[in-house]
Amino acid sequence: MKVRFWGVRGSIPVPGRTTNRYGGNTSCVEVRPRNGSPIVIDAGTGIRRLGKSLMEERFRDGKGEVSILISHTHWDHVQGLPFFSPMYRAGNEINIFARQRDMHLEAVFSAQHDAPYFPVPLSAMQATTSFHEIVEGAEFQIGDAWVSSARLNHPWIAIAYRIDVDRASVIYCADTAPFSDMLFGREFVVAPPSGTLSPSMREELHAMRAGVVALAKDADLLIYDTQFTPEEYKIRPHWGHSRPDDAIEIARDAKVKQLCLFHHAPMRSDDDNDKILAHYQNVVHQANDRFTITSAYEGLEIALGDG
Amino acid sequence: MRLKFWGVRGSIPAPGPETNRYGGNTSCVSIATASGGLVIIDMGTGLMHLGNSLLGGPFGKGQGKAAILLSHTHWDHIQGLGFFAPVFIPGNQFTLWGPGGSDGVLESILEGQMDPNFSPLQTLKNFSANFEVRAVKCGATFETDGLQIVAREHAHGGTTALAFRITEEERGAEGRKKVFVYASDVGYPETGPDAEAIAHYADADVLLHDTTYKPEDQATRRNRGFSSYEEAVAAGIAARAKRLVTFHYDQDYSDDDVDAIIARCRELAAPSGMEIVPAAEGEEIDI
Repeated sequence: MKVRFWGVRGSIPVPGRTTNRYGGNTSCVEVRPRNGSPIVIDAGTGIRRLGKSLMEERFRDGKGEVSILISHTHWDHVQGLPFFSPMYRAGNEINIFARQRDMHLEAVFSAQHDAPYFPVPLSAMQATTSFHEIVEGAEFQIGDAWVSSARLNHPWIAIAYRIDVDRASVIYCADTAPFSDMLFGREFVVAPPSGTLSPSMREELHAMRAGVVALAKDADLLIYDTQFTPEEYKIRPHWGHSRPDDAIEIARDAKVKQLCLFHHAPMRSDDDNDKILAHYQNVVHQANDRFTITSAYEGLEIALGDG
Repeated sequence: MRLKFWGVRGSIPAPGPETNRYGGNTSCVSIATASGGLVIIDMGTGLMHLGNSLLGGPFGKGQGKAAILLSHTHWDHIQGLGFFAPVFIPGNQFTLWGPGGSDGVLESILEGQMDPNFSPLQTLKNFSANFEVRAVKCGATFETDGLQIVAREHAHGGTTALAFRITEEERGAEGRKKVFVYASDVGYPETGPDAEAIAHYADADVLLHDTTYKPEDQATRRNRGFSSYEEAVAAGIAARAKRLVTFHYDQDYSDDDVDAIIARCRELAAPSGMEIVPAAEGEEIDI
């Protein structure tokens, strides 16, 4: 399979000269099995260009099929969908998988397309779009690919996906906070928590982390939310994002082969991203870790397994 | 009035080297008024960068005050609000004027953007600053920061948007009141703007007008409710505007495409004497 990054940014798209190399589009990753339809993870603004590229293939003739796995429905993971060209061509089949919400998923996604926010309602888009509600732990098949999932520690709950195909595996682990300081659920958290976690919360976080490590076990590629530096995390532990240090610990415990830093902070310049990558490559080298580290940028393509 | 452009792009932010010169952020313009006030028009992603630039001044200390004019509630005009740092500092005060018949309905539309399915903020009530929302009906006149503002509703595809005619009370050096008109997301019928629209723009010192499309692209997308640069230039000439600011470039247009649009606008405007000023992120215009 080939893994290609179309959007690597967290929170909000950031056009401008300081983001030219890593890219300013929000989260979107394409997983292309050697045979079969593309699988897309998350639909941030990066999906706009992916859509244009798909329209050069059978999607132009309304004969395409694509599965979109949504980690969670925060804006930076869904906001590109109204600009995904294959949805405007009759005959294309779009399968959207996302975690069950209080409302039916179709209602959640429709809200983004409806007046007074957007001119083209979801119901007016010509492709056939189906919504598949899942819960963490779900396992299912897409063509030759096997998809499994686990819960992450993020406001209103996000899920991580693992895709196994072509004798290789990739894990997409965004968005998540570390599993140490806070347990995220449905509350709005205005400030960093004070006091210690209750034993039951600690236990739940411990189990959640074990679930992520198990999901990532022996994977070829682990893509991980590393929005914060350790200094930034100290101020914003209540925002639901991790540090490269957290990703490295998961990568070690799961014995992955490659770790990819992802979901870069909006104000992070290309030069800062270079420095972060160099620093953590050195950390991994000094520790004699067996995995390599890369940092995701728009256009990065990683071939895994049987290609 | 001194204008500054923070976002000039239409529909969706367009990052990449090919948009570096004009900018890829969605709509946001600020006005520094002669009386020392700050008025913000539209809240696209450019608003985040405006907000960050304000933190060094009174807004960083919770002593800031600004008015916000909202043309309409499509994403590219509101998506910066949750990332506008000054709203998270207690003491800052904002009054937003936007389209609608009811303050509560307009507030709930903005609140819909913060819905917990989509945003960790969950509700506007989680803003620490004071954020007041006022609905403006078509033709309404209101005043803020020494500016007199008239809002006119125009067609924008299947919906409508407000164009703001902004007159500064303080007279300029030549003893005349200065006029700035903001008319983004304008969808004229094929017959062009009516007399009422032209009257709204009349004699503007600066007319900022939607120039989303090249005419050939607009021809296949007229139902989307955006202007071509030809329509914008024609409207500016008909209204005897002194300067026309091009704005809200299509997300697929590169800087080179916009250069070509500007060159063509200048050719079209030359006989009238109207000056063409391209909106570009970071640029400022004195009126």
